[in-house]
Amino acid sequence: MFCRNLKAILVMAFINIGSLISLQAIAAPDAASGKVKSQTCFACHGVDGIGSSPNIPHIAAQPPLSIFYQLVQFREGMRKGGGMEVFAKPLSDEDIRDIAAYFSALPPPPAKAGDATKVAAGLKLTQQSYCNSCHAPQLQGQKQVPRLAGQSIEYSVLQLRNIRSGTRVDMDGTMGSAARGLSDEDIEVLAIYAASLN
Amino acid sequence: MKIKMIPTLLLTASMAMVTLANAQAPAPAPAPTGVPPTWAQGRSADGMNPALVPNPSPLVAKPVNEILIDKLKVPAGFKIELWASGMPNARSMTESPSGTIFVGTRFPGNVYAVVNKDGKREVKTIAKGLHRPNGVAFANGSLYVAELSRIIRYDNIEQNLDNPPTPVVVFDALPKDEPHGWKYLKLSPDGQYLYFQIGTPANIIVPPSTHATIMRLNLKTNTIETVATGVRNSVGMDFQPGTKELWFTNMGRDWAGEDLPNDTLNRLTRPKGMNFGYPHCHQGDWLDPELGKGRSCDEFDKPVLKLGAHVSPIGLRFYTGSQFPAEYKGNIFIAEYGSWNRSKKAGYQVVRVVLDAKNNPVKLEPFVTGWLQGEEYWGRPADVQVIKDGSLLISDGEAGAIYRVSYGK
Repeated sequence: MFCRNLKAILVMAFINIGSLISLQAIAAPDAASGKVKSQTCFACHGVDGIGSSPNIPHIAAQPPLSIFYQLVQFREGMRKGGGMEVFAKPLSDEDIRDIAAYFSALPPPPAKAGDATKVAAGLKLTQQSYCNSCHAPQLQGQKQVPRLAGQSIEYSVLQLRNIRSGTRVDMDGTMGSAARGLSDEDIEVLAIYAASLN
Repeated sequence: MKIKMIPTLLLTASMAMVTLANAQAPAPAPAPTGVPPTWAQGRSADGMNPALVPNPSPLVAKPVNEILIDKLKVPAGFKIELWASGMPNARSMTESPSGTIFVGTRFPGNVYAVVNKDGKREVKTIAKGLHRPNGVAFANGSLYVAELSRIIRYDNIEQNLDNPPTPVVVFDALPKDEPHGWKYLKLSPDGQYLYFQIGTPANIIVPPSTHATIMRLNLKTNTIETVATGVRNSVGMDFQPGTKELWFTNMGRDWAGEDLPNDTLNRLTRPKGMNFGYPHCHQGDWLDPELGKGRSCDEFDKPVLKLGAHVSPIGLRFYTGSQFPAEYKGNIFIAEYGSWNRSKKAGYQVVRVVLDAKNNPVKLEPFVTGWLQGEEYWGRPADVQVIKDGSLLISDGEAGAIYRVSYGK
């Protein structure tokens, strides 16, 4: 037992020395440090990553790369909304990676049971609209693509409307094409279905 | 009794089968009717692993401690070093006569200049917020940049790197499709034309006649013309010294197989009228499972060389320097950005193509490897550029960096 601990300590010491000696180097994503850097985020997004009001997204359990992409896009002025540009401005790449590591490791938002007919309609439309191709089978997100499962309905509706109108520009046009043909009713049932998943 | 039991048994058996079928396949999902993401277009239910998805495009550059230069392998006698870094999504390169390297990107829309200053290199971001400024070419003191749907020009750019002028719009009537819409740009040897591609706006469709082409812009008359058709998406071009022929890479379609069709190296032997087969025939000899029906590959022009399926060849250059050993003269270097539509990753390397005296390829071999470690990649070579001292630069779109390969000393 003692030997094992010693080995672990030595390994940690080695890693720390490694990161000290290379200039311009940044450390691996660190959730603990991310929590410290996320203090400003908590007022709206919660220490548990659950938005404090319906128009604020839940960011708990988002794929880390998805959080990273959104914060970089806010920082670079590629995405605007909710004053996030201002909060993202001073963040370094390392800060963003740490923040993403913290929120992505939190338990996902709870599923919100909705009207059964609308949930079923949302499931059908999700399958017809290729949503799972990028957002994954249970809309849990993957790589840079955000998690939609358990998301606030109001937030999802607003984002889909903004993408449809072009107010929110996605990175490569994929979501723009996907949202173009959706009616307000379509958007509502998609958001209700996504919220019903965990 | 015996006779009576048989139908009962059959009924029970068939009910069991129904139950089993229900357990394995619950309610069948409704057929998709919406617009698929471009990369998923052409994916069939009975085809390849449907969980394959494209690699994310990077928005930031890697810190130097994550650029694993020691992992890169070059042939004996060669050396590779990190030459410049901190350039998110560094892709296409061009060198000005005075030695400035200009670098284009897809995301996040920057153009960089790398200049030598007192023996040290300095990276300057000369444009931000452009729309997919992937193509760069230098002519008469001006930098041409190909965005998604237009070509712009920065005059006297080298005198104004710290305060670049507002660009002149040269041509802005190109298609606005996002899929395969980013351009490669290449100046012709006579300086009169800019060559570029208009990629197909999907994975596998019958494209509009404007798309799946190589075009050129006449800089004197400001008119465009089609040079070649049936080219799915070419994101790398170079003119062969001597013959002055255009050679280019072409990306094959996805979702038709793990090992088919091949990405290719192609050669333009006629200035106009060549058709390389897309969407009917791929790699010169393989009919498309759907759009090849009723067609023959004999209708089309053939590639010079198959490079492997899904390796994603981008930039290529003829080796025109004198620093490398004599057998490298006239060779072609190709940067392979690497696969996504394949269970086992392929590409993620720079390859060397050796041609014989009749211009036929006689050897295809890796030249620089190591961006792929197991099934994880840390970098993706995007373009190559032979610079004046005879060394070879390699841009890395993932790491946001440029490496330099040199020989001897």
